[in-house]
Amino acid sequence: MTTTLTRRLLLGAALALGLAGTAAAFPDRPVTLVIPFAAGGSTDVVGRIVADKMGAALGQQIVVQNVGGAGGSLGAQQVAKADPDGYTILMGTVATHALNPLILKQKPYDPVADFAPVSLLVLVPNVLAVNPQLPVNTVQELIDLAKKEPLAYASSGNGTPLHLSGALFNSMAGTEITHIPYKGSGPALTDVLGNQVPIIFDNLPSASGHIASGKLRALGVTTKERAPRFPDVPAIAETLPGYETYSWNALFAPAGTPPEVIAALNKAAVAAMADPAVVARMKDFSASIVASTPEELGAHVAAEMAKWEPVVREANVSLD
Amino acid sequence: MDLLNNLAMGFSVASSLANLLFCLIGVILGTLIGVLPGIGATATIAMLMPITFQLEPVSSLIMLAGIYYGAQYGGSTTAILINMPGESSSAVTAIDGYQMARKGKAGTALSVAALGSFFAGTVSTFLVALFAPPLTAVALKFGAAEYFSLMVLGLVMSVALAHGSVLKALAMVVLGLLLGIVGTDIYTGTPRFTMGITEYADGLNFVALAVGVFGIAEILRNLEDESDREVMTKNINRLFPTREEFREMIGPVLRGTGIGSVLGILPGGGAILASFASYTVEKKISKHPEEFGKGALAGVAGPESANNAGAQTSFIPLLTLGIPANPVMALMIGAMIIQGIVPGPNVVSEQPQLFWGIIASMWIGNLMLVVLNLPLIGLWVKLLSVPYYVLFPIIMAMCSIGVYSVASNTFDLYAVAFFGLLGYLMSKLRCEPAPLLLGFVLGPLLEENLRRAMILSRGDPSTFLTRPISLVILVMALAVLVLVFLPQIRKRRDEVFTESDA
Amino acid sequence: MSTRPTKPRDTTDLAAGLLLMAAAAFFGWQTRELEIGSSLRMGPGYFPMLLSGLLFILGALVALKSLGREDEPFGRIAWRGILFILPAPVFFGLTVRGLGFVPALFVTTLIAAQASVRMRPLPALGLAVAVTILSTLIFSYGLGLPFRRFGPWLGM
Repeated sequence: MTTTLTRRLLLGAALALGLAGTAAAFPDRPVTLVIPFAAGGSTDVVGRIVADKMGAALGQQIVVQNVGGAGGSLGAQQVAKADPDGYTILMGTVATHALNPLILKQKPYDPVADFAPVSLLVLVPNVLAVNPQLPVNTVQELIDLAKKEPLAYASSGNGTPLHLSGALFNSMAGTEITHIPYKGSGPALTDVLGNQVPIIFDNLPSASGHIASGKLRALGVTTKERAPRFPDVPAIAETLPGYETYSWNALFAPAGTPPEVIAALNKAAVAAMADPAVVARMKDFSASIVASTPEELGAHVAAEMAKWEPVVREANVSLD
Repeated sequence: MDLLNNLAMGFSVASSLANLLFCLIGVILGTLIGVLPGIGATATIAMLMPITFQLEPVSSLIMLAGIYYGAQYGGSTTAILINMPGESSSAVTAIDGYQMARKGKAGTALSVAALGSFFAGTVSTFLVALFAPPLTAVALKFGAAEYFSLMVLGLVMSVALAHGSVLKALAMVVLGLLLGIVGTDIYTGTPRFTMGITEYADGLNFVALAVGVFGIAEILRNLEDESDREVMTKNINRLFPTREEFREMIGPVLRGTGIGSVLGILPGGGAILASFASYTVEKKISKHPEEFGKGALAGVAGPESANNAGAQTSFIPLLTLGIPANPVMALMIGAMIIQGIVPGPNVVSEQPQLFWGIIASMWIGNLMLVVLNLPLIGLWVKLLSVPYYVLFPIIMAMCSIGVYSVASNTFDLYAVAFFGLLGYLMSKLRCEPAPLLLGFVLGPLLEENLRRAMILSRGDPSTFLTRPISLVILVMALAVLVLVFLPQIRKRRDEVFTESDA
Repeated sequence: MSTRPTKPRDTTDLAAGLLLMAAAAFFGWQTRELEIGSSLRMGPGYFPMLLSGLLFILGALVALKSLGREDEPFGRIAWRGILFILPAPVFFGLTVRGLGFVPALFVTTLIAAQASVRMRPLPALGLAVAVTILSTLIFSYGLGLPFRRFGPWLGM
């Protein structure tokens, strides 16, 4: 058994180098990468950049398929039910593999039992920013102001990591900033830029252009450490110790996918994330590259679910 | 003379041989895919976007923009020829354009649409170049209260879309609003009217609705009696408008351009209203409002210009703020990020080549479209001589592919069948589909902004009156309401014994 | 379109009104489990409930106004069209993943082609073959859309 396994791995590696190709080795036809969000969003962007290079590493094209809907649940569900042969894989996120399973009353899939982790690709920080007309410059000033007068924050939607970043903020700071959900990050940003709503929790990539131009004042990033691209913006954790949220993107295959196939996919993903072009794009995108092993991703999913469970419960978010 | 310098730089970027070529390819591909029935601009861009990733950022966005105009133009062509709109804007074109086609004036309708679009595109491109930053500042003054009032104005105007009973048109708007609610409530996450089907959690697909109530209903109508009825007049007259028709289209084109340019700037869904608003205005000021719905030239010229102007000016929030005004623009943002451009206010200053290059290419793209499509009109019109029983199986195949390709959601295809049946039933009961469609696109925006405005004002409904822009729009809505109903009341008094209620 | 003299009632509008009322009742019934909230803090059920009520009233008005008016003929109904056109996209949806793009599209076109009495079997077959080949070339090969050409049900 082990010899065939090694042989397959070797064949996979040979194919990856473009040296040989037999019907037995994975992959012998294009792989479909399901992106559970609409084209143009941040997950789509990460997915397409990675798919291109991963395809090159695998020696087979990776076809991107956007299956948006229900906050990522539809696409995740589709991959959960797909044949466990490695030809259908998912670009999972904090939403599909931690938040939705906690929030949804009807569970369309099990984030642990239905999937075989491949690799945690990137971590994407979120940011707390305000319209410059709001007279606060630090997280502490915001907390003080919020305790004196009613404020509201915009997010990309109900049950999104950004909504919950705000919920976690409220619960840790003892504030009651009202949540205003939007249909995506774009409309939320518009209203904050126009000062219709003073505060926003957003993905750092989508807000970074506005922060750099001064149209938004960033009060803090949600990661434990400061973001390399914005060394002057403190981490919220510097004011509220222990505060940490971020979005992430990771590859999953359906549960039951043979280990050698997972290994081949992981190898290709890790190779793709080391590609200089991908590194440069991810840096522009303020995303930090992880490129983990399958086991690390499995542990990460468990840790994320444990972290968000109390926040979701406290914020009383639930979707049917 | 900054502007001239900038424009000159833009044109030098856009008119490099490679960029001209990509613009041309984009326009051609967009037209060819967009002209397939049931495949609108969003589906076309989603299909073609990956092709552009391999290119340089400027070339990639120029080609994508070309695909966008091309697809929009192609969509109008299908709306006119076979009553199959793939976008909310071309749904309005379908109302009178298709009637013109049935009267043998398909060529005129198509060339009016092309010329009107080109004119509108030219004017609004210059508007983008001249006023993008100040216009953005105005757009940002629109908050939830303003959008709510704007949507109310849109709803009031919708009544004028109907050419039959006003009462039934109102009922169709309300039915459309209810259908628009299907999906997840964004404030609480509660699913509404989804029957427990997760696939409808994001609402019903617009293309499925439009293809169903317009296109499939029309196919069924034509299949009612195949023996003694020809769908199209065989004697197709001239392809190009007469001098008189030219004169007739000037007013609508100018007004449509104005309306579309203004509404397109608003990132919160203003462009949706552009073609509907233009249609309403044209019908209201026309000396022959009874011709609307039966093939009025102004009913094609106005909305098509408004639509194209709105499409151009919706680039303003995209380019100056990095904010998408519609799903197509969201795709463009994705394309920018993939190309390593961080969208935001800095694009103008940090990437002037890109910014002005795209603006210049907008105009070039529009020029190419008109040059390409005027000769193609003859070809499109010839398609109508294909026997209908050959045409409609092709239509069904294409719209199945088109609807499925938007989100790979098979439930959207079931919705097509359902809405086909609904549309046919509506046509048998003489209820019109256009007000339904408007209600469908406005419904979610109306509710979303109403509830958001109420949360932001902490439950104070006077917010709609104390915010000046909102107040002005509401007064306008009231004025339209009076204009629509006053003649009717007067008419009712005069002709108590007639049965007309239109 | 023929005009037959009938009793003074607009059956078309009566039917329209009643159907609208039925639709309103359906939506209203579906709203019952949604939280209504208040005007100041609207729940998910507020707006739908309002609209259902409005639609019901409008339906009733349409129905009422139909009484005492001339009838207009309903016209023929395209039963054959309904029977073959509407199932076509449904079939495509049910089979595009299982059978794959090529066979699903072929059968879909074939089904739709049956809707016309003028379409003979052989030309229908020819048309379906042509549409399938061209669409596969354009969408699958040309544009590289992520459809499986032949799906798992065929054992490929």
